[in-house]
Amino acid sequence: MASLNTFGAILSHAIELETRLCEWYERIGEADKARAADKRRRKLERARREHVLEITLEPIRGLDAADYALDLAAGMAAASAVAARFYADVAPKINVRAAQRTLERCGKEHAAQA
Amino acid sequence: MTRTIQNYVDGGWVDASPGASIPVHDPATGQLLAHCPDSTAADVDMAVRAARAAFDEWRSTPVLVRAQFMHHFKVMVEERFEDIAQIVVREHGKTMDEARGEVRRGVESIDFAMSVPVLMRSDGLEDISSGIDETTVRQPAGVFAAITPFNFPFMVPLWFLPTAIACGNPFILKPSPQTPLSAELLFELLDELDLPEGVVNLVHGGVPSAAALMEHPEVTGVSFVGSSPVAKIIYQTCTRNGKRVQAQGGAKNYIAVMPDANIQASVSNILGAAYGCAGQRCLAAAVAVGVGDAYDQLKDELAKQVSELKVGYGLDETTQMGTVISADAKQRIESMIAQSQAEGADIVVDGRGLQVAGYEDGAWVGPTLIAGVRPNTLMATEEVFGPVLSLMKAADFDEAVDIINQSRFGNAASIFTSNGRHAREFKYSVNAGNIGVNIGVAAPSASFPFGGQKDSFFGDLHGQGMDSIEFYTERKIVIERWV
Repeated sequence: MASLNTFGAILSHAIELETRLCEWYERIGEADKARAADKRRRKLERARREHVLEITLEPIRGLDAADYALDLAAGMAAASAVAARFYADVAPKINVRAAQRTLERCGKEHAAQA
Repeated sequence: MTRTIQNYVDGGWVDASPGASIPVHDPATGQLLAHCPDSTAADVDMAVRAARAAFDEWRSTPVLVRAQFMHHFKVMVEERFEDIAQIVVREHGKTMDEARGEVRRGVESIDFAMSVPVLMRSDGLEDISSGIDETTVRQPAGVFAAITPFNFPFMVPLWFLPTAIACGNPFILKPSPQTPLSAELLFELLDELDLPEGVVNLVHGGVPSAAALMEHPEVTGVSFVGSSPVAKIIYQTCTRNGKRVQAQGGAKNYIAVMPDANIQASVSNILGAAYGCAGQRCLAAAVAVGVGDAYDQLKDELAKQVSELKVGYGLDETTQMGTVISADAKQRIESMIAQSQAEGADIVVDGRGLQVAGYEDGAWVGPTLIAGVRPNTLMATEEVFGPVLSLMKAADFDEAVDIINQSRFGNAASIFTSNGRHAREFKYSVNAGNIGVNIGVAAPSASFPFGGQKDSFFGDLHGQGMDSIEFYTERKIVIERWV
């Protein structure tokens, strides 16, 4: 698994996570949860596009995607717990407040479902 | 067979005159992406004539309509954001984050151009004499051109094009032949905008097309970003031909690090400033001056963090530094590192000879840290335009400022400190056009002019901000009396 060592790596991992969750929720008939995941995905794509600040791009340390692997067989609460932990860990590493806020909100939504 | 890209003239794609072409490579893979035509003076003339023919209609198009075009243009760029960033990575070799950051800054310039209905407004005064009123009117000035560099192939054209056309001027872009594909996509979007024919034109090529633009009598003004020797030639040629010109040149940007700075946090930011875009930007940090005790701490922390940077293909999101632009650039940069070593400098982290697995044909130069650089040596004076950061030592703040002000360049300078007095004194006394305080890349946002002094800029009005409104308009004074 890859190191989450850049702004883009973190945001892209988050987008991938929400995409995967959205598809899974659709498959198991959880339409509301799928819609919420898709909405988060769109917000994260916008954050990756709009809140990348070229002059403060700095290396990010201490995060690995392997630590946030989703085990969908473990159920919805477990998946939300992993996602909530991911967002809680990555948000403080981002040095652009608007992007950080998007990540924090995603984390809060997952924490409420965990 | 690899395609040859086309010029965009008078509202359509056209082949350049037959002749030589320039290969465009992905600098990480070595893959041939396209051939760029080396357009001739005849090709330039065709573009200038189209632009000139468009001028009367375009200048009389209501300014709100022109601004609305910019709004639609922004939406198109946002929709193709990721595609654009990927093309920037493929033809330049920078990372995805850097490419996205570049596209974002380009969008900011479009945002600025949307404000032209406000920014072009002028002033007036009633009764400057009995029954006589006087007003100022800003009018578009004519056909403008920009000659842009390889290092920000999407952003730098947007420093100029949106404001120029929003002000009512037709425009011709001649991008770097090393990175013409971002400009090609830019013009695909402009083509969808459905502007009147001739308002925007794209001419690919090298010296012949640049020279033709500078000498064409129907071109009112030229913007340039590139190296200082070329910027000086551009300035001299354009002024000799009676044109407005803003020519932004090279740099040797210094960073002073005070003993009271947070060294670890400063180094994280300095890494981005020195090695972002593999050091190929005119605001790259080139020399870090450690003041007093800061020198040794700075050297140790930099050595640690520089060694940890991940170099690789830009399309891999985990890459923290990409390639330099070409094998020639790699050779030149590595040769400069060798010369510095021969002068007695200490190569603390050596990026020469780097190989990246799976990308053996790439133009890789690893991040390089050179300590013990002395004044007046190669690394203290000459622009490298590569991932090389030099370290110098100063006894105190005043000596650091003296070292910085000795440079013949004056693009940018930064200080890292927690002391407001040092920050204030630095802003006040350092001779550079863009000053950073606790930020290594002092890049002005679109509503501020992009500074530059000494050999880093030739001209009067800078790109971006209100300077660009001045550059792209003619002021007319109207004195009225009705009897």
